[in-house]
Amino acid sequence: MANRYDAIVVGAGHNGLTAASYLARSGLKVLVVERNDYIGGAAVSRELHPGWTYSNCSYVCSLLRPEVQRELDLPRHGLQVIPYESGATFMRNGDYFAYYSDHDALRREIARHSKKDVDAYDRYSRFVTRQCRFIKPLLMRTPPDPVRLKPRDIQEMLYLARRFHDLGPREMADTLRFWTMSVGEFLDDFFESDVIKAHIAGSGIIGTGLGVYSPGTAYVLLHHYMGEVDGSIGAWGFTRGGMGGVSAALASAFREAGGEIRTGSAIEKFLVNGGRVTGVVLENGDEITAPTVVSNMDVRRTFLKHVDSDDLSDDFKKAVRRFKIRGSSGKINVALDGAPDFIAAPKNAAFLKGDLHASDSLEELDRAYDDWKAGRWSQEPYFDMLIPTYIDPTMAPPGKHMMTLFVQYAPYELAGGESWDGPNREAFADTVIDKIERHAPGFRDLIVHKEVRTPWDIEREVGLTEGNIFQGELTFDQLLFNRPVPGYADYRSPIKGLYVCGSSSHPGGGVMAAPGANAAREILGDLGRQSGSNSVGRAA
Amino acid sequence: MRYDSIVIGAGHNGLAAAILLAKQGKSVLVLEKNAVPGGMAANGEIADGIQGPQLAHLMGGLGKSEIDALDLKRHGLTFAAQSVPTIALDESGRHVVLQGSEASFADGGAHPDAAAFKTLRDRMVRFADKLATLTQRPPPRLDGIDLREAASLAGLAFGIRGMGKTDAREFMRVLLSNAYDAILDEIDDGVVAGALGLDAVMGGHIGPRSPGTVLTLMYRSIGGGARHIPAGGMGGAMRAFEASAQAAGAEIRYGAGVHTMIVEDDRVAGVLLTDGTEIRSASVLSSLDPRSTMMLAGPAHFDAEMVRRIRKIRAKGCTAKVNLVLNDAPRIEGLTAGQMAGRLLVAPSLNRMELAFNRAKYGELPEDPILEVTIPSLADPALTTDGKHILSAVVQYTPYELKDGWSDKTRAALANAVITALARYDSGMAGRVTAQQVLTPMDIETLTGAPGGHWHHGEMIADQMLMLRPAPGIDRYALPLGGLYLCGASCHPGGDVTALPGCNAARVVLAQETRRAAA
Amino acid sequence: MTVIKPTRTDAKAVARGLIASPFDARLRPFSLYQDWMPWAGYVSPRRYDTVETEYFAIRNQATLFDVSPMHKYRITGPDATQVMNRLVTRDVAKMRDMRVGYSLWCDEDGHVIDDGTVFRFSPTDYRLCCQEPQYSWLHDIAWGFDVTIEDESHGIAGVSLQGPTSFAVLERAGFAGVEAMKPFDMMHADGDTLISRTGFTGDLGYEIWCPAEKAETLFDRLWPAGSDFGLRPIGFDALNMTRIEAGFIAPGVDFQSSHHALRPTRGRTPFELGFGRLVAFDKGHFNGRRALLEAQKRGPRYVLVGLDIEGHKPADGAFIYHRKKKEAGHVTSALWSPTCKRNLAVAELKVPFGTDILSDLWAEIYHHKEGKWERVMARATVAERPFFKHARRGATPPGRY
Repeated sequence: MANRYDAIVVGAGHNGLTAASYLARSGLKVLVVERNDYIGGAAVSRELHPGWTYSNCSYVCSLLRPEVQRELDLPRHGLQVIPYESGATFMRNGDYFAYYSDHDALRREIARHSKKDVDAYDRYSRFVTRQCRFIKPLLMRTPPDPVRLKPRDIQEMLYLARRFHDLGPREMADTLRFWTMSVGEFLDDFFESDVIKAHIAGSGIIGTGLGVYSPGTAYVLLHHYMGEVDGSIGAWGFTRGGMGGVSAALASAFREAGGEIRTGSAIEKFLVNGGRVTGVVLENGDEITAPTVVSNMDVRRTFLKHVDSDDLSDDFKKAVRRFKIRGSSGKINVALDGAPDFIAAPKNAAFLKGDLHASDSLEELDRAYDDWKAGRWSQEPYFDMLIPTYIDPTMAPPGKHMMTLFVQYAPYELAGGESWDGPNREAFADTVIDKIERHAPGFRDLIVHKEVRTPWDIEREVGLTEGNIFQGELTFDQLLFNRPVPGYADYRSPIKGLYVCGSSSHPGGGVMAAPGANAAREILGDLGRQSGSNSVGRAA
Repeated sequence: MRYDSIVIGAGHNGLAAAILLAKQGKSVLVLEKNAVPGGMAANGEIADGIQGPQLAHLMGGLGKSEIDALDLKRHGLTFAAQSVPTIALDESGRHVVLQGSEASFADGGAHPDAAAFKTLRDRMVRFADKLATLTQRPPPRLDGIDLREAASLAGLAFGIRGMGKTDAREFMRVLLSNAYDAILDEIDDGVVAGALGLDAVMGGHIGPRSPGTVLTLMYRSIGGGARHIPAGGMGGAMRAFEASAQAAGAEIRYGAGVHTMIVEDDRVAGVLLTDGTEIRSASVLSSLDPRSTMMLAGPAHFDAEMVRRIRKIRAKGCTAKVNLVLNDAPRIEGLTAGQMAGRLLVAPSLNRMELAFNRAKYGELPEDPILEVTIPSLADPALTTDGKHILSAVVQYTPYELKDGWSDKTRAALANAVITALARYDSGMAGRVTAQQVLTPMDIETLTGAPGGHWHHGEMIADQMLMLRPAPGIDRYALPLGGLYLCGASCHPGGDVTALPGCNAARVVLAQETRRAAA
Repeated sequence: MTVIKPTRTDAKAVARGLIASPFDARLRPFSLYQDWMPWAGYVSPRRYDTVETEYFAIRNQATLFDVSPMHKYRITGPDATQVMNRLVTRDVAKMRDMRVGYSLWCDEDGHVIDDGTVFRFSPTDYRLCCQEPQYSWLHDIAWGFDVTIEDESHGIAGVSLQGPTSFAVLERAGFAGVEAMKPFDMMHADGDTLISRTGFTGDLGYEIWCPAEKAETLFDRLWPAGSDFGLRPIGFDALNMTRIEAGFIAPGVDFQSSHHALRPTRGRTPFELGFGRLVAFDKGHFNGRRALLEAQKRGPRYVLVGLDIEGHKPADGAFIYHRKKKEAGHVTSALWSPTCKRNLAVAELKVPFGTDILSDLWAEIYHHKEGKWERVMARATVAERPFFKHARRGATPPGRY
């Protein structure tokens, strides 16, 4: 096996594969090394129970940048995303609030809960769409460094300033407010109905160690809205065959461009010589050399675990250490013998095909957060529950169902230093299943198999520090030029030739592929190469 | 007679505005519904005829340039104690004294976090100084920057950059961060962290983990963040404002409540008092919050969007006041007499503060109250007679709306929680109390008109600061109704006894009304 | 938090897709083309018969168009006049009781949110009838005032009876007193039916409103009465032609509601839509007044003009150029008018075009000619609106034919 490459990408997550694909397409000889025996990182489809496929980490798709999908020709490599057009929150009183993408049906449904909120929803949705329009072009750009102020930084700052100024004074104020306020207060501005607020607010906390009334969570909401399926902003969909479909398509594109992937190859450390990266050493002792090395791992893992401490300054290490990557969510995947019967849902309710929740007030969500702050999993957890088998027939045997549950909040470290292994993991799952059972009696009896993943499990299996799905909190002190570390928001690091391309960097987490594509653009710029792509080829 | 300006409310900001206007030769009338000046900083009867600082009890953010501009020294502003030490009370008995950026144990022993505390606090003060330039004028405008403003903003940017790369980067990183992380990144959780964190959240409906609390911490650190005890209580300082206003020619009428404003030709033309008196003026400055001000003018004069913005200003008071009359000076083991006269904090840790905030979010009474305590009668014996003392406790995280409702019973429970908390440090506390006064956020609202009983007339958090304060479109003191201005704590830069909103508003009024007269 | 076990409520799901209007059972059988379109969540006819038949029925006979999907709000209470005046730009205090007034209303920037008709029953009782939902906006406007706002959209059915013989139909149907109604008058009939002399066609016409549950009864009364007068149901396409001829503008077509536009630059003032005369600055403050004073001072940025375009190819969506080169604006509504025998359009031009520069304007029209697209530069002449206005529209008592 040849052990010299032009570039090595460490980690076959979707961002690693994206960066690798762009590099390979420019003609570089690229190797991707992956610790697990399968590729995909947190975008995987795994048959953990015979006949059932789990998207056992990430589970729905929206953020994946359309530029990347087109440029890497992912549909030709098998990617198929099918939007789901509805969702619901089950209420304690046995009623429900359903979301429909059918505007008229949505209006009628909102009117059932509050007549005023009908128009308020239009106002809200226009507001969020405006914010999406503002932020979208920033996703595929490298943030400027407002302190270094090289010509590129100044140029980029002026671009941002101009875009901001073009909003006009009213919109500028709205934007400043929106970026700094809490999702709870943001929604209080529009709506009066508790359940409608709670239904929307979930998007403001998913994956973060913040509560619905923590300032900055309105932005997190936007982070979940700024995706699209076929130009429909804010829409979410299932990847046919599970989220592994995204990784498989990326890997196929990468291999077609001449790339090579080695699975089961955990790295020991990055090789550094005189402040320059020279390659990597694998845990099995293999040395692979390359002048360019890209890490798909989060920054804490990259720099604190796999780089010799002596090769980094204390200031940099301190900055990396205080980058907040907090485990706040767990994942439960369930194989079901049949469709659950939700007592609130009318027969054949269309909304069952979408995201389902059972937290019907902001207070319930806020209390769930308080549990987490105290080192407990939420006693009344928020969950994002989907049954993809209603839409995607490939996930379970005919007539059977697969359920994916994203559960918030679960701490990485339990109070009192208790271990997640054993009874606590089961008790955590029971808390969630009990809550579903209340809304769908008989649910427990339908369970054929389940996989329970606490933040601790996710870290151990996927490598995400603390099991944080975004490789770092999406708070303002960790966004744009502050992400991941001030002064290093351009995908570079203090070590020449070593780059980061994971969600720790701008614009952050989700199966978006923007960090990977942006990192590739910076790398190719440094190498003076073109990639033949519109969004990535433009060297900075 | 027709005045140039009427100022509604003789709080310190109203008086500050009146002083500056009168000093420019404007005829000014200040209308105050209560009998004394000072609003939230007024002295009042605590119990048994003892007068003292009912609400605010420490002077913090009043800067030298405002003291000079308002001629306060000449009109009697004196302090019973300046730069009082902060004593972070520790349940273990090892209390910590914080004086500026120096931390040590009360017995003089070195504190293990002293160096880290100094670094952190010095940095905050340094950052705060950069922000200070923004507080002495209206916030930057979003609708077309004029040259002077552009120059000063550029100055600010250079100032930040001028701190050096490391500081500049850190400034931009922590600006919107939360106090909890910013503090615990440097020092372990405990009373020192609690003392710092309390400055970030005092008076607000926010916990130390809320992003944005570093900004409030910086706000409190402007000018060094020292606290002083004015002679004669806060009310004594207010008398200096009053005297200065009168000396400058302003007229102050007490017991004069405003019923409505007179509006003619889309301009405010004066006010109608509750007793039916009509008084005319070219402009009206209101130190009330925007909503009360709007209601006095009538919502009919505001566009629906502005009414909605004003309605939605968050002002949920979360701070109560418990004042105790004691028959004897309290004693805390390990503290000197001088330390006892300082600012005593019961803020055991940031985590305990966050837990206390949790309860307030759901309308529950504090169980483990977070307190800022002063005993003003120690520094200023003239406040009491017969060896009595006043203990003044700010009770952070007391909800405006209590789930069980505020009643004599729940008020007494609040006082008991405070006394119990203090008894951990002074076991004789309960026995010393001869009378008590409990002012819940709701009581504070009734007493002063502050919406939600909120210290700052509006939550001080990033989305309600600078050009978003009190709400977009009314950030530069002028309301859309011609001749009507805000000059209270709801405006930029915000609450505390800084006189900055009042001074800034007065300067805007002078400029705008002059321009109008010219046109 | 206490755990509450939800109980089964057997809630039904709300209707998805489009719902039927109260007249649906009566009107649907007339549809020869099954050509439907969505309108405010209702299924609404594009046409029943050929558009040509329906258009000429409007201009020659009498027609029924189901306007039930319109949004209707009732504003009642001591402050109703104050609230209505706070909402709209015209002065409703000057309207007499039982009169209807066309109005626009603006946001704080003076940009038009929507237009519609204000029905004044009394100083304390109004109805607002419009295209876009306004329920929460009305509550925003009314905050601090003593009024009650009721959404009557689903409770009130409406039908527009338009055309030269419309009065004859009403008379035959036995609605006494209609003959005395002047344009924009309204009257109660049979207690809960309301007739207003209003419409979108520039011709004689009425709108009849009744409780939704009585819609079929109303239809059953009108239909036989129309048999001798050529009464027929019509769809949107024919009505839209007469709307353009009559010079009315439509939200979402000739202007964008400022509450719906994603781009803040899409807002237009009443001056820019040609409705400066409906802005009553002398009535005290109303929403957007200060911005409109500024806008008036500044002058319009855009102007809506009527255009007469050479040739006969409708200029839908055409760009308008000055001297065939400089882009001056675009067409918002257009048709070949069978009644006026002119090729008409409404266009939004960027000032100074349409205000100072009125000549040498050209419309760039694309038309499809047997598999091939052709581009024509057609001369456009600014024309007075309304393009069509018939004397019988205003005649009181109205003629029978």
